[in-house]
Amino acid sequence: MDEKYAIDLEHVVRIYKRDEFEVRALDDVTIQIPAGRFVAIMGPSGSGKTTMLNLIAGIDHATTGRVAVGGEEITGMKERDLASWRARHIGLVFQFYNLIPVLTAFENVELPLLLTRLSKAERRSHVETALRVVNLADRMDHYPRQLSGGQEQRVAIARAIVADPTIIVADEPTGDLDAKSAEEILGLLVDLNRQFHKTIVMVTHDPRAERYVDTVYRLDKGLLVGTEPGRRGAPAEAAATSA
Amino acid sequence: MKYAVLVFKNLFRSKRRTILTVLSIAVSLFIFSALVSVPTVANQILSDTASSTRIAAHNKAGLAYSIPVAYRQRIVAIPHVEAAMTQSWFGGVYHELYDQFPNFAVDHEQIEKVYSDWAISPESIEQFKKIRTACLVGAETMKRFHLHVGQQIQLKGSIYNFNVTLQIVGVLGGKAPPTFLLFRRDYLEEAAGRPGFVSMIWVKVDKPENVPQVIAAIDEGFANSSAETLSESESAFIGGFMQSYRTIFRMAEILGFIVVLTIGLVAANTAAMSIRERRGEIAVMRSIGFTSRTILSLLLSESLVIGLLGGLLGCGSAFIVLKLFAVGTGSMGPMSSIRMPPLVLAETLIASALIGVFSALGPAVSAARRNIVDALRMVA
Repeated sequence: MDEKYAIDLEHVVRIYKRDEFEVRALDDVTIQIPAGRFVAIMGPSGSGKTTMLNLIAGIDHATTGRVAVGGEEITGMKERDLASWRARHIGLVFQFYNLIPVLTAFENVELPLLLTRLSKAERRSHVETALRVVNLADRMDHYPRQLSGGQEQRVAIARAIVADPTIIVADEPTGDLDAKSAEEILGLLVDLNRQFHKTIVMVTHDPRAERYVDTVYRLDKGLLVGTEPGRRGAPAEAAATSA
Repeated sequence: MKYAVLVFKNLFRSKRRTILTVLSIAVSLFIFSALVSVPTVANQILSDTASSTRIAAHNKAGLAYSIPVAYRQRIVAIPHVEAAMTQSWFGGVYHELYDQFPNFAVDHEQIEKVYSDWAISPESIEQFKKIRTACLVGAETMKRFHLHVGQQIQLKGSIYNFNVTLQIVGVLGGKAPPTFLLFRRDYLEEAAGRPGFVSMIWVKVDKPENVPQVIAAIDEGFANSSAETLSESESAFIGGFMQSYRTIFRMAEILGFIVVLTIGLVAANTAAMSIRERRGEIAVMRSIGFTSRTILSLLLSESLVIGLLGGLLGCGSAFIVLKLFAVGTGSMGPMSSIRMPPLVLAETLIASALIGVFSALGPAVSAARRNIVDALRMVA
């Protein structure tokens, strides 16, 4: 495994058993993603995008092959160690935001920090910074039901970055948003990538995403079928035409 | 402490469900603690009041039959006997039938020797010996009827066809049953026309190890007489008296446990529903880095708080209700003051904690160990 790669998947196979059937979600996939890149994994439904993301995030195990993230091989880690590893290295963003409805925006963002040794004052300072980065400093006492979809996703992003993880993994972060909100979220991810040098891996169906990322990996039926550069900075019309 | 906010916020996720669960646990533990208090109090009375050196000698045919007062002289002559005191059950009623409490006529000259552990003040004893109509009253009866020392009261005869007018000269304390009233037997004898019979004789022995020997001597001494005696230690006497209640006590205990078990199952169902609704959130928390153990602790803490709140509410209200209404009347004798003993309080709180923890244990373990990807897929 090479440490210069933030993410290094070697001959990864993931097979799910569904009753008597075996589903080969990923079939001998090898990918190396350098640190500090913003990449998109694209492909049709059932192509294995989310499975790959789950393996990178350490919430699923490869059936065979090796997975190394942030220079650490996580393939053989025990559940308890993986949880602690996730807390330090991974920031997760979900399609449906997955905020805890009974907690305020502040408390939702504070969640990952509860796993650290930070004092209450330090936690507050970190949370306020994260909420400022996503432009929601004035909404910290709001509950998720009091926020729009775009705002909820920005809170989810603040939660993902608050513990300063090595890698941010986002599963369809714009999938439940209108066009304007989706552009805002993609722009925010670009800012995180540029200003804070975060490695971001995003699974998406959204063709607009190609304009924001460095590389696009294309999956189909569990196989890596293509790797192409993103069109970062390309005009929206051009990207839409090419998509 | 940093997780307290999470526990607290989740408790009030569904206020109605939390309140109803707390109330259902509270009601069941109210019933449990009230039912379990009865036999516990009975056992406590037995251990608290019984002296290891006192013997009760009564008619072998049963407590309804009397024995000659002359037996006392023969009993005090038995080796190791320090004192003997005759006692007659008067069965008087104060005001109304439901205003009853146990009342007996006793030898005024012997009371301090036989009931040396009843904490009767020397002044009260002196007055009791001096005034023929004197009586000593238990603290609870004093309180229940707002009586005071120096007050005159009248007991209506229910066994005897006359009333007695008594003057309160002191309060019974120490190991004395708190509802008893004792007055002088010479007063009763005179009013009854000196029948020369008593309900029983209390015997004080010098040492506990001599009790069996004295019991044997008393019963052998009156064998084949017209009124054979049955003598027994005080604890055996009170235990025998309570024997008639034992089946009821046992049923009360069983009912108490059934009620707790039933509510435990109901609470388990509620906990299962509550945790099932949050499987997605739990998966998100685990994906953030919360370990299964932390998740399990959080879920069980929530359930523990609910259980303990129910327990505090249940046994607190049982404690107050039992204290306010002092279940039963004085006529129940030793069972006259059913209060919640500290032991039952502790048992009830432990039961509430167990209901809390065990009702959520199954679903919490299942949720904490569930595959994160599967759980997230269900949310999506």
